[in-house]
Amino acid sequence: MDEYAYLESPIHRWDTRCKMIGLTTLIFAFATVNSFPLILPMLAISAIIYFVSKLPLLFLFHRLRYPSLFVLGLVVVLPFISGTTIIGQIGYLTVRQEGCFAMLLITSRFVAIMTLCLVMFSTSSVLTTIKALRDCGISPILADLIFLSYRYLFEIGHQFKTMEMALRLRGFQPRHINQRNLSVLASLAGTLLVRSYEQSEQVYQAMRLRGYGGNTGRGDSRISPTYPGILGSTKSFTRDWFSLVLMILCLIISVIFIGVAVS
Amino acid sequence: MHISEGLLPAKVCIGGYAIASVITWYSLRRIEQQPNPTAGIPKAALLTAAFFVASSIRIPIPPASLHLVLNGMLGAILADYAFPAILVGLLFQAVMFGHGGLTTLGVNATMMGVPAILAARLFQMRHFAAKYIGVRPSNSVFAFVAGAGGLGITALIFFGITVMGITADIDAGAEQKAISALMISHLPLMVIEGIFTTLLVNFLARVKPEIL
Repeated sequence: MDEYAYLESPIHRWDTRCKMIGLTTLIFAFATVNSFPLILPMLAISAIIYFVSKLPLLFLFHRLRYPSLFVLGLVVVLPFISGTTIIGQIGYLTVRQEGCFAMLLITSRFVAIMTLCLVMFSTSSVLTTIKALRDCGISPILADLIFLSYRYLFEIGHQFKTMEMALRLRGFQPRHINQRNLSVLASLAGTLLVRSYEQSEQVYQAMRLRGYGGNTGRGDSRISPTYPGILGSTKSFTRDWFSLVLMILCLIISVIFIGVAVS
Repeated sequence: MHISEGLLPAKVCIGGYAIASVITWYSLRRIEQQPNPTAGIPKAALLTAAFFVASSIRIPIPPASLHLVLNGMLGAILADYAFPAILVGLLFQAVMFGHGGLTTLGVNATMMGVPAILAARLFQMRHFAAKYIGVRPSNSVFAFVAGAGGLGITALIFFGITVMGITADIDAGAEQKAISALMISHLPLMVIEGIFTTLLVNFLARVKPEIL
């Protein structure tokens, strides 16, 4: 996820907190788009932001590839089942206007929102993003959970690959479903959970020794109301005018989109 | 089983966030009331990561294969941490792989998290049944019901939202038929998820019973 987090672009320089507020509002404004005239401006704004971020186009295509297949699989039937206004015939299938419009609308919203999500999470490091989430007010428990899950995700993933490889080297190549194959796969998942559970106890002890928990130190282990979480939290908001202006611009565009969509 | 970006109208996405926020707030409140809430965070985080990885196990069903959801099992093991864990797991899936999405995060979390909580409550009833039918049979029966039921409720919400939420121009009768057909087609998958959860619970009961 951090592959393109250190490029040089105005979007990379944008303060992460302002970026999250601005782009999240824009993403939700795009989710309200339900009329034909807004489709082109929505796609144009996403394209401009992506272009300014200097993220490679191949990266976008690569990330959109599999989710697009799922969305296309769902929307491709809409022109034939949704609506009443018939505009054509393909063999025995009747093509309906409302269905075609719904397909275009959903596909455009999907591309625009996915593009902005990619910009939001790929132009800052994961650590900076989690810190920004914490600064924006999410619970320290949730922030710690995100941080620690991300920290151990790749390690556990690596353990899983090793275990899977060991199974294959012993000749386990399930080609069909039966009780033995399911039992082996359940043991694989179970071993992963047991290892993670045991590792979590060691991790917790190590973290306690480094002062984790923010407790009062008088035998009270409850979370203190001022507990800032592992990554801490910054109370003061940024004074970077460039970031604030970009955020306000996003908010204005969002209000326009929501206003037009609602009216 | 994720709802992608752009599929749902904004009203449904906001509704999903509202429900997910209330359940997250309630879960966090319950976590904070525990005698030592910080002790559970590393455990929940590592098990979240482990479930995330374990859900990538492919079950071969020729000519294709399927991935397990395991939300019933996750609910049974993580209890109060289950809903926040599902929220975090879905956030990673949306950001890292584009499965699901940011606007549909609330809907997806509710769709996966509520059945997980229900499955967890159901799985807890095994202690009561164990007095009459024994520990191992009770574990097996309730693990199957939790696993299959967790996926069943998730599938019902998923198909309901997908069929009814995408566009309002589909006939109500056709919607109902589509949901019924999709649910019937998912019955074998529910059975597989239930059997896998039973085998997993039996493995954990043998190797590390304190996890359950």
